[in-house]
Amino acid sequence: MSMNDDSIPGLPKDDSPLWKRAAKHTAILVGLLGLWEFVTAFGYADPLLFPRPSAIFTSFVPLYITRGIVWEHLWVTMATVLAGFVVGTLFGIALAILAGLSETIHRYLKPYVIVLEATPRIAIGPLMLAWLGFGFGAKLAIVTLVCFFAPFINTLTAILSANPAQIELMRSLGATKWQTLTKAIVPDGMPMIMAGVRMAMASALGGALVAEFISSNKGMGVLLDNLAAMLNMSGAFATLLSLTVIGYALYAIMESIEGRVVFWQNEAGLRRVSARRRRSFGVSA
Amino acid sequence: MSGASTMAGRGPGFVARLTDPVFLRRAFTHLGIFAAFISVWEWAGRTGRLNDLIMPAPSAIADALWRLYVTTGEIYWHFFVTFFEAVMGFLIGGAIGMGLAIAAALSLTFRRYIAPYAVALNVTPGIAVTPIFIAWFGFGWSSKIALAALIVFFPIFVNTLSGLLRTDRDTAELFRSMGASKSQTFFKLMIPDAAPMIFAGLKIAMTGALVGAIVAEFASATEGIGILMQRYAHRLDIAASIAVLLSMALMGLFLFTMMEVADRRVVFWKHQSRLEAMSRRRRRRWNGPATTTESVRT
Repeated sequence: MSMNDDSIPGLPKDDSPLWKRAAKHTAILVGLLGLWEFVTAFGYADPLLFPRPSAIFTSFVPLYITRGIVWEHLWVTMATVLAGFVVGTLFGIALAILAGLSETIHRYLKPYVIVLEATPRIAIGPLMLAWLGFGFGAKLAIVTLVCFFAPFINTLTAILSANPAQIELMRSLGATKWQTLTKAIVPDGMPMIMAGVRMAMASALGGALVAEFISSNKGMGVLLDNLAAMLNMSGAFATLLSLTVIGYALYAIMESIEGRVVFWQNEAGLRRVSARRRRSFGVSA
Repeated sequence: MSGASTMAGRGPGFVARLTDPVFLRRAFTHLGIFAAFISVWEWAGRTGRLNDLIMPAPSAIADALWRLYVTTGEIYWHFFVTFFEAVMGFLIGGAIGMGLAIAAALSLTFRRYIAPYAVALNVTPGIAVTPIFIAWFGFGWSSKIALAALIVFFPIFVNTLSGLLRTDRDTAELFRSMGASKSQTFFKLMIPDAAPMIFAGLKIAMTGALVGAIVAEFASATEGIGILMQRYAHRLDIAASIAVLLSMALMGLFLFTMMEVADRRVVFWKHQSRLEAMSRRRRRRWNGPATTTESVRT
């Protein structure tokens, strides 16, 4: 499977007190922002193109509070992202299970999957627009398509790389095909499936933004495009920062869902679930 | 991703397989399914069961391909523009990503203080920066190169970093005890050890570079394969649009295969057939041409 751990590796736990760490990080951030502010304030960079940090921060106010224009765009984008993510992921997993159950289907599907994988998915955007019009449908279709592949491929890989000894055991115990799938293959492949789902979530926001860039009248992509086209760069940067926050929130949510679903992959989750199960079985810890 | 990477590493040679009855039967079934699919589609298109504006028949798409590649030949220039943008973006973003990753691997402090920014960059959809880059770099090639570089950066950065951090401890100990210098340890141990992971990152990034170039073209461009496709879609010439899309798939496959080939050449020890070929060649170079495997062992 492809590399899918997207966190920064090699960061040992820092034992110094929290305030010290926070102070150091803040000092660096303030230093960078100060340098930037200085460079633009004294005319070394064009403030029209590189807005000062202070200008970016003040432009959050009209966006969110006094004029509040961000909210309707935010709502549209979030609806597109979530709907497309759910539909695309479910489709991907379901199709992968179908394809994985039958070796014949899998074999004859494979070349098409390879070609589709090589195609930049987002490139289908203009076609979707021509097919489905400029409304919500096309955007939903684009996000669905973008979200389809990672879960599909990871689920298929997980099913195909299932442990043959386990399947043998299930068969010798007289399990049905369905039981083998739901009790052995899927739980075993769950970490990989969840990694695919997380990748889908990571690309959903990008897919929605591209759909909105191509053509739409509402959404964060439209807002960003309009602000940049009007050369209101501080507003554009404020919108971009909002997207960073949204992206981080989606990432964190997926991370916590993943921690719950594949709880046996981390120490804390394992301890939590086994304590709960022990209680429910009536065994004292 | 994995689906395509399984294409490599096929067992026996292609020519030998041509006489294998199982292989032949499967190949024919593949072709049969494909032909059946295309003919049903063509039939539905001819008899008016499919709307031409929505899903043109295969013959119309083939016709459009002919027009694009032979009669007018207009696709070549656009093809080249996008290819150039993607490759340039890949090189620039890759150089920055690898440079920063090497610095981060060598210094814990640097790693610790760059981490939040790398994470922030990763959770921001790179594509979202398109309008800002267009305002900065204009409507020409440079804004597309910049976006491709931005998208390429993270996968290369994170894979290079984790590859470099994974150096085997015992081997590092061995290097130290044999008095290897810092640069020797770096070039002879850390880099070769990290190479498989770095290449995994490069492969992901290559596809990303193409996406970046194409999306930036969608947003605003005068030349490139992305804008070509969008133009046809806006004219509702869906057949030509699909023809361009197929060309994009071709370009994606080509770029990916290029990386795959580079991977097999550079990280030869991870692929059995390449490993054998390499060791055969080295054996010949070190022992003179006549030696056999046995004489090497003694």
